Amino acid sequence: MTEVIGTWIGAFLTLCIFSFLYKDNPFFRFAESLFAGVSLGYYIGTVSTNTLGPNLIRPLASDFGGNAHLLIPLLLGLNLYTRYVPRITWLSRLSLAVYIAYFAGINMVQKLQGEVVPQVGSTIVHPIGGSFTPLDNLIMIIGVLSVLVYFYFSMEHRGAVGAVSRLGIWFLMLGFGAAFGYTVMGRISLLIGRMNYLFLDVVRITGQAL
Amino acid sequence: MRLESLINLDRRIVYLLIAIGTLLPVLMPIGFRVTTTAPVEAMFEKIESLGPEDVVMISFDYGPTTAPENTPMAEAALRHCFARHVKVVVLALFPIGGITMAGEVLATVAPEFPDLVYGRDYVLLGYKDGAQAAMKQMGVGIANVFPRDNAGTPLEELPLMQKVQTYADVDLVITYATNIIGDYWANLVNAQFGVPVAIGCTAVSAPKFYAFYDSRQIIGLLGGLKGASEYEHLIVSHYPELRPAYSQAGIYNAMRGMDAQTVDHAIIMVFILFGNIVYFLILRRDRRASRRSA
Repeated sequence: MTEVIGTWIGAFLTLCIFSFLYKDNPFFRFAESLFAGVSLGYYIGTVSTNTLGPNLIRPLASDFGGNAHLLIPLLLGLNLYTRYVPRITWLSRLSLAVYIAYFAGINMVQKLQGEVVPQVGSTIVHPIGGSFTPLDNLIMIIGVLSVLVYFYFSMEHRGAVGAVSRLGIWFLMLGFGAAFGYTVMGRISLLIGRMNYLFLDVVRITGQAL
Repeated sequence: MRLESLINLDRRIVYLLIAIGTLLPVLMPIGFRVTTTAPVEAMFEKIESLGPEDVVMISFDYGPTTAPENTPMAEAALRHCFARHVKVVVLALFPIGGITMAGEVLATVAPEFPDLVYGRDYVLLGYKDGAQAAMKQMGVGIANVFPRDNAGTPLEELPLMQKVQTYADVDLVITYATNIIGDYWANLVNAQFGVPVAIGCTAVSAPKFYAFYDSRQIIGLLGGLKGASEYEHLIVSHYPELRPAYSQAGIYNAMRGMDAQTVDHAIIMVFILFGNIVYFLILRRDRRASRRSA
């Protein structure tokens, strides 16, 4: 019975959200606010039970001496809340500095090693070699060079430079078109999921319960 | 009817037609033919090359907001792994619903394979915060990040996790991603630890991941509902015993979803053509009017 009630609440909230397609209304705003609140509550609960519990509280409770190093992230985390005490707000910046430094460091290597170098490497192709046909390679070479010219602003886009730059715009437009087509597909997929829920799942689950 | 009224058509008429175009195929599946593409086939072939001694790590990096796209692909690949008796380590790094999605997919698929035993053939590690930090640390030791599984059992008590200590013991990572966490598996885990990675992503992020596929940073790619339908088609074609999971009336899957997707795309294309024709008709009429007045 709980599943049926949950399913019908889900169906009602889905219709509340869909009602925005007609026009803004209190049902939509209620469902939107509820979603934001539930998401935050879910996040706090998940982090508490899946991260803070097994990775911090349980190890400290079971073997405090052996896991004393965990006090460092604990104190850094708690220190963030000093920003709510006006006299010692500056202390919270220490924790933020550690956080930012860690992720800046990890991202620097990650982006260079994992994106810049391999992506540049895969763009530098032999015109008649590699896994693509010569025509594919030619299109890629022309596309990359013309788009780079489009984004080269130290020279006026006139004459030959202007012509290559306009070709770059065409490549960019094709790219945006492909991305937008995929976006439409993604949004329609979500609508299909909701329609399945409203017209198949609700009926099936209710029918099974009855 | 004036041309202006046509180009300023009430958007709710478009919504209504899209709703009808979605609902009818949902209630009465058409069964359009599914054709497969190289990125999907590459992921399928990779799992085909694995066996009972191999381990696949599946990360659920999406939430309920993109479940209609990601869940069918997650179920399909999990069925494929289980059908081949490949060992599966499931985890979640997406905060808003990742672990719920992982639990739901496992609860749907695992009962279809009653000979598989939890802890020996598959495990659910749970969710962990701080995606990049967790990924990086799993390269040193998975137990450092997940000391216990989702049910609270210490990892050393699970037979499968005794032999899966780091990425070196994993043959393939599959991420079902809705956001940047998918990038991290490619540009961090694959780049720094050399583990083959396959991505099942939402359609919105698919164009970005094609660049990773072309540079061979990922070995396969399922892009949105289309990618999911292709994978379903491949496993149904190769594993007749899995067909019942995709032939139950009233149960959503990507192949059925693509029926509605195709009809909706046709409606959208008609509206794009219609809007452009009316636009050019207005343009021509205004030019003629200005010539006459000149």
